[in-house]
Amino acid sequence: MTVNVNQGVLKRAVGIGLTAVMGVGLLAGCSSDSKTNTATGSTASPTESAERVTLKVEIFDRGNSPAPYTITNNYLSQLIQTNFGDPNNIDVEFVPVQRSEEVTKLNVLMASNTDVPDIVFTYDSSVFYRYAQQGGLTDVGALIDEYGPNLKKFIGEDTLAFGQLDGQQFSIPGKRAITGRYSSYIRQDWLDKLGLPVPTTTDELYTTLKAFKEKDPGGLGSKNIPMGMALAPAQFETLIYSFMKPISGELTYSQRYELPLHEGFKDAMQFLNKLYNEGLISKDFSLDEDKTQLAKDIQNGNVGYWSEDVDVLFYADGTLDNLYKNVQGSKVQPVDVLTNANVDNKHIKSRYASNGMYIMIPKSSKRAVEAVKYLDWMATGNNLIDIYSGVEGENYDLIDGIPVVKADVAQEFADRLFNAGDTAIISNSKNLGDQATNEKAWISGFPERNQEALKQSIAIANTDTIGPIVFGKPIEAESQYGTTLNDKLAVIIVKTAMVKPDQFETVYEQEMKDYMSLGGDKLKAELEKALTEIPAQ
Amino acid sequence: MLLCPVFLHRRRLTLSKASYFRRYWQLYALLSLPLIYFLIFRYGPMYGVQIAFKDFNLFKGIGGSEWIGFDAFREVFGMREFYSTLRNTFMLNFLDLIISFPAPIILAIMLYEIKSVWFKKISQTILYIPHFISWVIIGGIVYQLFGNQSGMVNGVLESMGLNTIPFLTEKNPWLITYLFTGVWQSAGWGTILYLAALTGINRELFEAAEVDGATRLKKIRYITLPSIKPTIVTLLILNLGKMVSIGFDRPYIIGNTAVREYSDVLSTFVYRIGLESGQYTLATVVGLFQAVVGLIFILGSNYISKKVTGNGIL
Repeated sequence: MTVNVNQGVLKRAVGIGLTAVMGVGLLAGCSSDSKTNTATGSTASPTESAERVTLKVEIFDRGNSPAPYTITNNYLSQLIQTNFGDPNNIDVEFVPVQRSEEVTKLNVLMASNTDVPDIVFTYDSSVFYRYAQQGGLTDVGALIDEYGPNLKKFIGEDTLAFGQLDGQQFSIPGKRAITGRYSSYIRQDWLDKLGLPVPTTTDELYTTLKAFKEKDPGGLGSKNIPMGMALAPAQFETLIYSFMKPISGELTYSQRYELPLHEGFKDAMQFLNKLYNEGLISKDFSLDEDKTQLAKDIQNGNVGYWSEDVDVLFYADGTLDNLYKNVQGSKVQPVDVLTNANVDNKHIKSRYASNGMYIMIPKSSKRAVEAVKYLDWMATGNNLIDIYSGVEGENYDLIDGIPVVKADVAQEFADRLFNAGDTAIISNSKNLGDQATNEKAWISGFPERNQEALKQSIAIANTDTIGPIVFGKPIEAESQYGTTLNDKLAVIIVKTAMVKPDQFETVYEQEMKDYMSLGGDKLKAELEKALTEIPAQ
Repeated sequence: MLLCPVFLHRRRLTLSKASYFRRYWQLYALLSLPLIYFLIFRYGPMYGVQIAFKDFNLFKGIGGSEWIGFDAFREVFGMREFYSTLRNTFMLNFLDLIISFPAPIILAIMLYEIKSVWFKKISQTILYIPHFISWVIIGGIVYQLFGNQSGMVNGVLESMGLNTIPFLTEKNPWLITYLFTGVWQSAGWGTILYLAALTGINRELFEAAEVDGATRLKKIRYITLPSIKPTIVTLLILNLGKMVSIGFDRPYIIGNTAVREYSDVLSTFVYRIGLESGQYTLATVVGLFQAVVGLIFILGSNYISKKVTGNGIL
């Protein structure tokens, strides 16, 4: 009996214990743990704590915080707290959002109403327009006039216009320092080996690629890739822009999936088809949407010619450094090759608009004034340089008024700025003055050995650029069909490139018909109508 | 635990309701936890189904958005993409059923026939491992193996002077890649249930058959297969019920732009319109449609199975 009694007690105890443990576990699962930390370094004196408020600011988390910093508590967050927060009696709190899930997470934050930061942002114009149309954003026009004179001056009326909808300022567009996007590169050592000149036109490029293929200057056999290709904008946009006719003057429709609506798109696809079928481009380009394979092929020395974002190759221990390490005697030369027969054989390529990300203040925010003050502070005096460049003498030297990154900067100092670009939301890259100054400052941040090539690369990216048309109002069809058509654009490129040349016509017609019926025709009609409604630019 | 069932039964009869609860309340407390789980995480979210009938506005919330009746359904059923993704979902699931469903059965019977214990144990472990590898990693392996330019398999083919096969970039070879990756990933794990059923077979049946001179194949056909029939039927019903739902990872990761014609399925469609372009109403409509059709399928196949074999799961 005693045994039984003991067991009964034991059973009950275990039952209660289990219930308690599981219940607590369940409840813990329910409570949303907010991943926000207050930036420390706030030494609030008791006298002012009465009216002290908290300003929540979104920040991209790229998972690259160097110890001892975290994404919410680091050199810059402390700098902001000390220089902006404490004097204004504000606690600045950073709310991390994973870079790769930015829009998804932002949607969730916006829907929650209470948890949403006071300052949020996105690069995606359709996301901004959707929030604005659904009435979720604060009109900051009057607030900027009252609290943001420096901000207004810094960004400028032209760029501010990007953030307007029906005359109301629903967002503050960041200012972009550098608008050049793409450059192209060729293996000079391959050319030298074959005794060929640097190609200067699209036709000459084709001849050169043929020679790369047949004479195999790298001695690579089946690994030989005359022209590197990926299913990414830096590769296919450069090609398409060198065939298509702008809509008016030097302007095109702004969205990538609107490329098929331009004259000359078909010629670009036909050229790509020829390149693919003759084995001149990466065979697996359709699988390579993030350019990893392309980068691998380049740094293993398998690629003869390619285009890329203007800066990508040149970072320390980046693609170029690796190539030079892997392949003795290799030499990469930035070149401007593709010529556009529709535009006087110029080297037509795309450029960014002058705006960066859309900075927004949700309607539910009670700290709109503080938010504008924060952005205004960032635009004031030396603050942007402090954020972007760190401490003079430790991180940079001031040369001709330009903060030049020290070549031998200590790691602990360099780590201060790991999230500088993501913190300085009002400025996409270092804005110091005119474009040339900005570029100079930008180049100074790269390893010295690569600076000359980067300089050439930027010069190419700025040659014969054409930019996006700004309608100043949302195109409804863009938000409705954008994602579908973006997907369709990729399908068009891949399918028309990979089909046998004699079937190109049929497949192209079929795919374009598809594109049109998936919303392309509605988009085209709306764009053409909007075009007639804006004064000629 | 020490009390035998009969004793327990008699005791229960003698207890009044109140003292019965006093005695066994812990068991109910434990049971309430899974019930709470289902209420919160399975039934609670159904509140959101109404988004399908509303013009969902992020800032007004579910309650504040306007009712639009079946407008969103009309829009979805008018989208050509919806039908192509629906067709692909059925096609991939159906082919999966034909290829992947028998695989674990065959594998389980083969394992069952093995006499060497250590070899059987090792084979089982090796067969289970792929189940624990995430699709993201499998996707990476597949690309490394089957790519045109850098893929190992095509490298071997090329070095032997053969033509390369576009395993990933042409739709029909891709289909085969997709199906066999699925078999590789799940067949080993799928054997567990069948092996459990197989151990329940009375060994004497085999001995008797042996005396009668039955060959190994005959034994499999007349003893092994009939013994695990209920298990096969149950799993078949469960699989049929899933015909209209398809996992997100596998088609999304193994698929690519070149084979979008086949690899675009309902789950990737929902992801694209719901999460990427923020059209929550349309995404909810597709989700609801999937759930309703899935329910019809599972009830239907259960009904047929009850009629035909006498076994069902409901």
